[in-house]
Amino acid sequence: MRAITATSILDTSGKCCPMPIVETNKAMKAMGLGDILEIIATDTGTQKDIPSWCERTGQTLLSMAEENGVLHYHVRKDR
Amino acid sequence: MKSMAIVIRDDSYDKILTPLVFAYLASAEQTQVDILFVNWAVKALTVEGAASLCMDGRHAADEAMVRENVARAGLPNDVYEILKALKASGCVNFYACSLAGAIFGVNEGNLIPEAEGIVGASWFLNDKAAKAEHCQYF
Repeated sequence: MRAITATSILDTSGKCCPMPIVETNKAMKAMGLGDILEIIATDTGTQKDIPSWCERTGQTLLSMAEENGVLHYHVRKDR
Repeated sequence: MKSMAIVIRDDSYDKILTPLVFAYLASAEQTQVDILFVNWAVKALTVEGAASLCMDGRHAADEAMVRENVARAGLPNDVYEILKALKASGCVNFYACSLAGAIFGVNEGNLIPEAEGIVGASWFLNDKAAKAEHCQYF
């Protein structure tokens, strides 16, 4: 399986709801269609928040992984 | 969800955070949020009032801890700064209830520029709350 290459990385480590979502939204606005944002988070609430945000805003969640308590998401801007 | 209306009555620092956070989340989905501040909470729409918000009663002693944790979570720990950030999202409007303004001393002269204005509750309930997809009261 090919690794996903992110266009930009957003590190929200240590921050809690609502900031990971607010900062993800802000970062995505600055990106172009087809760009991929990697989001790093430690707030476990993002495990449901980020997929939900992607669904509601029409973005595509490409991957979600957890390693040693750190969550990594790859989201492609589709709208 | 395309629109949400919120009515905030409670003005203690800790309790006003929840509706503001919900508005922040909704704005990140481009949901239009209209917030009416009633009763004591209308004071939050003045610079002095926002700065004076504190925690009441049995939670008062925990205020420093709460403010520290709010900052650690990444939010501004000052309510006016949160209001400014919400306004900057372009999706959130603030309204002061005219009755609350008359009772608690909020007028066009001390209303923060981020607020849309002082409005009648009837207008808000009919034109905003009744037409919103979702309505919340705090």
